[in-house]
Amino acid sequence: MNSFINYIVGYEAKRKRLLKKVPYGPLHDFLSVPFPTLNTPIAELPILAVDFETTGLNAKADKLLSVGFVSLEHEQIKLNSCYHQIINTKVQLEESNVIIHHITDAQKEQGQPLHLVVEQLLKALAGKVMLVHFARIERQFLQQACLKLYGLVPDFPMIDTLVIAKRQLDKRDVAYDPSELRLSNLRNNYQLPAHHGHDALNDAIATAELLLAQITGKASTDKVLLKDIIL
Amino acid sequence: MDIELSEISSFIQSIPPFDSLPKPALARLIRELSINYVRKGETLPPNGINEPRLYIVRKGALSCLTNDNELISRLGEGDLCTEFCKQSLQTASNNQQKTPRQVKTDEDCLIYSLDCEVLRELGEKYPSISDYFNYNSAQRLKQKMSKVNEEAIISSSLMNTSVSNFYHSPVAGIDASQSIQQAAIQMTEQGYSCLVVLDNSKSIGIVTDKDIRRRCVAQGLPISASICEIMTRNMSTIDIKSNAYDALMAMTAKHIHHLPVTKQGKVVGMVTVTDLMNNEGQNAVNFSSIIHKAKSLADLKEISDLLPKLQIRLAKLGASADHVGKSISAITMAFTKRLIEMAEEKYGQSPVPYAWLAAGSQARQEQLAHSDQDNGIIICDSMKPYDDAWFENLAHFVCDGLADCGFIYCPGDIMATNPKWRQPVKVWQKYFDGWVDAPTPKALLNSSVFFDLETICGDASLLNAVRTNLLKKTKRNSLFIAHLSKNALGLRPPLGFFRDFVLKQNGKHKDTLDLKHNGIAPIVDLARIYALSQGISAVNTIERIKQAAGSAAISKSSAENLIDAYEFLGILRVKHQANKLMLGLEPDNYLPPKELSKLEREHLKDAFKVIKTLQDSRQTSL
Repeated sequence: MNSFINYIVGYEAKRKRLLKKVPYGPLHDFLSVPFPTLNTPIAELPILAVDFETTGLNAKADKLLSVGFVSLEHEQIKLNSCYHQIINTKVQLEESNVIIHHITDAQKEQGQPLHLVVEQLLKALAGKVMLVHFARIERQFLQQACLKLYGLVPDFPMIDTLVIAKRQLDKRDVAYDPSELRLSNLRNNYQLPAHHGHDALNDAIATAELLLAQITGKASTDKVLLKDIIL
Repeated sequence: MDIELSEISSFIQSIPPFDSLPKPALARLIRELSINYVRKGETLPPNGINEPRLYIVRKGALSCLTNDNELISRLGEGDLCTEFCKQSLQTASNNQQKTPRQVKTDEDCLIYSLDCEVLRELGEKYPSISDYFNYNSAQRLKQKMSKVNEEAIISSSLMNTSVSNFYHSPVAGIDASQSIQQAAIQMTEQGYSCLVVLDNSKSIGIVTDKDIRRRCVAQGLPISASICEIMTRNMSTIDIKSNAYDALMAMTAKHIHHLPVTKQGKVVGMVTVTDLMNNEGQNAVNFSSIIHKAKSLADLKEISDLLPKLQIRLAKLGASADHVGKSISAITMAFTKRLIEMAEEKYGQSPVPYAWLAAGSQARQEQLAHSDQDNGIIICDSMKPYDDAWFENLAHFVCDGLADCGFIYCPGDIMATNPKWRQPVKVWQKYFDGWVDAPTPKALLNSSVFFDLETICGDASLLNAVRTNLLKKTKRNSLFIAHLSKNALGLRPPLGFFRDFVLKQNGKHKDTLDLKHNGIAPIVDLARIYALSQGISAVNTIERIKQAAGSAAISKSSAENLIDAYEFLGILRVKHQANKLMLGLEPDNYLPPKELSKLEREHLKDAFKVIKTLQDSRQTSL
């Protein structure tokens, strides 16, 4: 329990601390809105499902290619909140990579600059918990982008559907194949429609649907609190 | 850039009525969707939703129930649940519905939903959307059938073209006082193969060049004899308002090639088979005339092999089930007549007057290729016991011949070969009286076959006398009608579809839809009840419903709905059978739901609802 209380102190404390340092601008706006407390029931928790496409796995060397997100409120995914934007990064795309994310150089050139896209994301994310599948990519790339754009690295409270699934599997104490933790395989387990991923918005929606299935599978959602599932 | 939502978009786009939306409107609609996940065993709407919404099942299954837990429908992937947006959308009254209802999840469900306000706004801009949600089953079915009919006009000429487009005018007439030679001269000069014989400018008969050959030259009649000697009196005519298809049918049934066209009873022109054939190519008239010319049973057999081809062709032409049924029935009639002629050649003339009767689908003119035979013989009461030998020979000759031509023997032995169904008028009368007075289950089964009875060949007055008495009796006998109704209501249409299954009233699933027993037969039964209770002598189902419309049995609008349902089911059946025949398979009435489009399923559900409503109203009137 103590660790959770520490965590409250953790992300809220850090938010307040940073807010004092950060100049007015998108990051300031983002940090001005308090995060939900750890005791917020899932049914009342404002969530933003987010997914990034990148040129690789290394946040320092690789680039953010596109951002997709959709909000999840009262256990309902609102498609009118969905957002998708390709970023006009200044790198030549590698063929091996294009096969995965299907973003071509031509599409990339039509994209928006990084700072505008991150601004949109922060605006949508203010006061919400960020939902991702496999948090490392989104957390590192977003933090890297903030560092580059604002010179500061904020903390983002996150829910990771992969970790929720992993915790459940670990509890069973049975060996499992890591591939079972893939988004599409987990969706299959919940009989969610087949998902052909690799565009940021569809992946964000797919992740949001998976979370709904995961938390709805539990006894009663108004008893599930943020602290039960937070990363 | 909306390609990102292509998966959701292609899902929504496959669901009527959203399939009719243009791309930008569809993209806007999708942006308005919400997604919920609802666990098995919960009810809709999901927690936290207060405004009325339309729900679309993306994954999982729902059941709609009445408040007394009676299953109304079960919804699977791609089905719409309109339970919660009726109030905000429904302008048309939908009195068939038992409200209020509840919707339960049978499985864990991923559900898309749309605010009904958004749907209403969409409907204002796109009438196809508002029509879909505002119309009740009967209205949607009517709309579908009027579309089908429109398509038929485009794809087929005869059915919807008036005789007036084909007839020749003025008709060539010849005075009754003229000689045969003068008729021949006039025909040659004017290039006509047919003349109407006039007496004081009143048409009294018709003479064709065939008559000159057969009735004059071949018989050695002097060419100076009066034209009246060889003309056909009591000629068939057709009213100018009829459609060309009716003309074709009249000619097919009577083996004639010329049909005078009348306007207010006066002959104004002539339509010939050739005129019509130029339009239709190989057709029922062709068929009947080659059947008529067949010399032997072997010839007939050969011709009968073409029958499935004709059915395919008619189906491809977009003929309605009514027209296909009438064409095939007319051809079966031609086969039967030719076989009777052959039998008479073999066994001599009948000892006493009689008529060959067709029962069931042939009598109703609703037959499809190679269905089984149902027939009987009605004989004049003057017959002596030893006369039956002749009729027995006739019966065997004709029934065996029909069987050879692919019309399989009746499994229930309702055939003229069965002595029971080869009887004089007074016995038939006694049968009918018995069925009506003591409606046992067996009697009811018989009555459903024999109350659809038509004279195919011979003296029609024999059956007419029996029928007149019968209808007088059934009209008065409400107990009989009640029993008949009860019996007929045993066949209930299914509720609809669930995934790729047929959903029955009891909630069970079936792999195939039995179009005949679950749709067509219940309507045929209802029509028969209407006819018998109202003293209507017609046997064709559509004709019965039309004549009963507006009577105590059925309202005008219900009658229209029932005909729409019947025609829609008929079209599906004709299409399905044509597909089977084209693959060289036996045609049947079993339709796997997989072969049905979403829209066809919707229309079928509407048709079932129409049938059920009328069955229910029959039930409450018992």
